[in-house]
Amino acid sequence: MKLDVTELVAGYDGRKVLNGLSVAIPPGKLTVIIGPNASGKSTLLRTMARLLKPRGGAVLLDGQPLHELPPRLVAQRLGVLPQAPLVPEGISVLDLVSRGRQPYQRWWRQWSADDETVVRQALSDADVADLADRPIEELSGGQRQRVWIAMALAQQTETLLLDEPTTFLDLAHQVDVLALMRRLQRGGRTIVAVLHDLNQAARFADHIIAMRDGEVVATGAPSNVVTADLVRQVFGLECVVVPCPVSGAPLVVPTGKE
Amino acid sequence: MTWRLLPIAAVLAAAIVASVSLGDVSVPPLEVLRSLFFGGTDYDVVVRELRLPRTILAAVAGAAFGLGGALIQAVTRNPLASPDVIGVTQGAGLAATIALTTGAFAVAPAALAGGLLAAAVVFGFGSRAGFTARRFVLAGVAVAFALRAGIEVVLTSAEVIDAQRAQIWLIGSLNGRGLEEATAIGIVLLAAAVPLAWAAWALRISSLDDDVARGLGVRPVARRYGLAALGALLAASATAQVGAVDFVALVAPQVAQRIAKTERPPLVMSALLGATLVVLADLAGRRLLAPTQLPAGVLTAAIGAPYLIYLLLRRRRA
Repeated sequence: MKLDVTELVAGYDGRKVLNGLSVAIPPGKLTVIIGPNASGKSTLLRTMARLLKPRGGAVLLDGQPLHELPPRLVAQRLGVLPQAPLVPEGISVLDLVSRGRQPYQRWWRQWSADDETVVRQALSDADVADLADRPIEELSGGQRQRVWIAMALAQQTETLLLDEPTTFLDLAHQVDVLALMRRLQRGGRTIVAVLHDLNQAARFADHIIAMRDGEVVATGAPSNVVTADLVRQVFGLECVVVPCPVSGAPLVVPTGKE
Repeated sequence: MTWRLLPIAAVLAAAIVASVSLGDVSVPPLEVLRSLFFGGTDYDVVVRELRLPRTILAAVAGAAFGLGGALIQAVTRNPLASPDVIGVTQGAGLAATIALTTGAFAVAPAALAGGLLAAAVVFGFGSRAGFTARRFVLAGVAVAFALRAGIEVVLTSAEVIDAQRAQIWLIGSLNGRGLEEATAIGIVLLAAAVPLAWAAWALRISSLDDDVARGLGVRPVARRYGLAALGALLAASATAQVGAVDFVALVAPQVAQRIAKTERPPLVMSALLGATLVVLADLAGRRLLAPTQLPAGVLTAAIGAPYLIYLLLRRRRA
């Protein structure tokens, strides 16, 4: 499945954040969007996830404008994990993940054996099967994030968009979530995530989209994109880029503000 | 979930039997059942013609209040957003007061229209920012106060006798009412059966974050409108027939949610508890100071509030 953004204009309440942005998401890859605060990376992801309506241009899903397709059908192809969603009180992990089947259900036909199988699989893929009966509000931040991902997996979409999935998590849980994203991509999905940590982006992404002031500054493989020049240009930060001792991916070491 | 309904259905059945059995002439409960199911007893007139219609009215009105409250509370995720707090009841009250003091319209249709109109105004204000709970409740409370002021104006400028009749309507009483009113509410409940089945399913997603709901292919704001409008219709229809019986729509869903231990007020249990509360309130109103009759609306809060407070305290301790 192909996701393309053409001439996209988007923003909030009269403030345009993106003004004619075009970018393509490579299918079957793990793409990470990076950029400083207010660079428009979340706006881009939210518009791609149709949480935000474009003011101009379009997001194309296999060539069709996403915002003109029936939402239920889009939800069968495109899953989204919003940033820090509100946790509903008093429901179990299993109950929440089951709601990921919503796009396949109707009020007169609510639950099938098929749904059951998919939900069990989603729980085990996201590594939360043993938490199934626990109330969500009792879980740690890292566990919750995996539960939300499980819910998105139960949607059985080829593409999954995640808005800052590692924010508010400690380092070990950040790595858990990143590794889970990597496993899902290996399983054949297209993954797009907004991340804050450059080094994690360089280490886990197949493809990087670097943004500044609502525009795409560079796209490509981490080894081509993550350079000292680019970090200066995008973040205004002086740094040295060395190969990571574990993976060989570019490792950004800041030297100071210019 | 389903098994939790059984004890409440049993309490409702017991309340109905008690309501039919107790009165100036007391009928033994077994005779009540015999008369209800087989007939031909000495008590047929008292049971079937005098007390049963009024009890049925109490039950269907209570069920409609419970459902209306459960829907609006669930949609706004706010226990205060209940039709008797956000202006539906007050809208019906103002229209009914005008109807009763001027005699220009029939009371029930006017009250129904007034309740729905007030709901439309509140939804209009509340929707500016996508129908968020806080805005909605604030707009509703403001509209309710404005309408209450309107009621006072009409009452003070009316003839004393008309004003007195309106006062009783505003408290909500089942005195002298029966099958005709029960049928009017019953028709609305029946017509709402399919929308309610949809609502029970749709509410699952309404308790999630809007962004999450959109990700699941749902239009959360449009859905909230539909669910809240259904709730307002049910509450306004019941108010139109029995008057402004307070507190049922607020308390029944809250008690149901605490008994069922669910994330939102459960619909069926809210209906059963609403029915039980109004039947008991009407019974108590008839018997407590007999032969003086207290309107049911005086006692719904007196019965419902302590029970809700008890549940709140018990939860804190647990």
